[in-house]
Amino acid sequence: MPLGRQTASAAPVDSIAARMTPTVTTILAALLALQPVRLAGYAALPPSILLMAVYHWTIYRPDLLPVLALFAIGVAYDLLSGRPIGATPLLLLLLRAAVLRCRPWFINRSFLFVWSGFALFTVVAIAGSWALLSALAVQFVGLDGSVFGAALTISLFPVLSFLLGRVQRVMIGLG
Amino acid sequence: MAGLADEVIVLRLTALRRPSAQRIVVPLLVLASGLMIILGKIDQVLFESLRVSVTDAAEPLLDVLSRPVSSIENLGDRIKDMANTYQDNLRLQAENRRLLLWQRTALTLASENAQLRELLKLTPEGSASFVTARVIANSGGAYVRNLLMNAGSQDGVARGQAAITGDGLVGRIYEVGTRSARLLLITDLNSRVPVVVEPSRQRAILAGDNSDRPCLLYLDPAAALKSGDRVVTSGEGGIFPPGLPVGVVDADVRGPPRIDTYVRLSQLEYVRIVDYGLAGELPNPVTAGSSTIRRAAPITAVKSNRY
Repeated sequence: MPLGRQTASAAPVDSIAARMTPTVTTILAALLALQPVRLAGYAALPPSILLMAVYHWTIYRPDLLPVLALFAIGVAYDLLSGRPIGATPLLLLLLRAAVLRCRPWFINRSFLFVWSGFALFTVVAIAGSWALLSALAVQFVGLDGSVFGAALTISLFPVLSFLLGRVQRVMIGLG
Repeated sequence: MAGLADEVIVLRLTALRRPSAQRIVVPLLVLASGLMIILGKIDQVLFESLRVSVTDAAEPLLDVLSRPVSSIENLGDRIKDMANTYQDNLRLQAENRRLLLWQRTALTLASENAQLRELLKLTPEGSASFVTARVIANSGGAYVRNLLMNAGSQDGVARGQAAITGDGLVGRIYEVGTRSARLLLITDLNSRVPVVVEPSRQRAILAGDNSDRPCLLYLDPAAALKSGDRVVTSGEGGIFPPGLPVGVVDADVRGPPRIDTYVRLSQLEYVRIVDYGLAGELPNPVTAGSSTIRRAAPITAVKSNRY
């Protein structure tokens, strides 16, 4: 599955449906992240599906995921999930900026490389969120939930990235 | 090979073509996010009405989306149940025999209790009414522990009402829209519930810390708690009625004793939101308190720094 090969595709797309695909799938990822999954222990360590989607699209088609949409999705997610408002858009915007800066290194690399990059960004992002939350709560919040959440997020990334890659192929093409 | 080189060039060009407007927009949005975090921390009321209206607007969508997820889970449960029918049957028969004995004991105690109350001329607790609501969104994780319910003020749900299941206490309502309400779980960082440890009548505050097992604070240092001691609400503070089962003590941990909650908080589908006529004792940042205050509450042991 040479997902890494799509990295460099940045050909213009005309159809509105294709242009909307990254935004719509990111909104779907946010909605999926809000779903009450009744698995034992899941609530303690939910994977950050939103992080996966934003990373995927920033690597493969950053031109089709506008910052304003990202900001709006982040704010809506905070409003609906009951998190401190502003925390998610801040995280997503910083992730996007950081990934964009590193993006040239990802061109024509194997998926394993892209995945390792995701692991690195996830660890930094989740550590940052934990620090922010602890600062807002004025106490150290238990780290274990964040650590397991990060591990699950990293291990589930190939699944979501594969699905998004399929959607990308059908809706946008290889570029 | 030429194709690959082209693609690299295309990428660089897009990077160069990045409009300068974007360069201003991104820092501006980052700044806006940071400002929102700070403003939300300083003034808790600021975003609350926005939050309630957005949640209300999204309620039908979340309600619809949560149904297939729960049907898939139900299907799995059903298959598992069918496989276990025989064992379940044996277990239930044994349990039924035991429960029938308990029922007899309960009936005897209930009549005795009624007689004693009569003797003491005890003021009766207000009668409770309830609404059953479905969980439509669950934002778990290390950040917040709350659930979004598909019932709101139009169904009679109000701020401060207790949320329970047949097993015990779940949490309380802290945000109410017209058709949705947000429920703060007892495991949330901001949750503080006055409780009693049963055999010793030892009072304590049950404090959530976003982990699955809340801890007991402000215990008497001399108190000797045993693992397995039952914890129920004390009724102090007037948010919850006394005697709601919460969980059992696990004293064999480092730091303050932890509680294994009776309710499996991560596996809730339906929750009963009960109006004990006590709501309104909560410090209410949004609207004036509801009119159902029935008795004075000297202590409000609910941390009010955010909600």
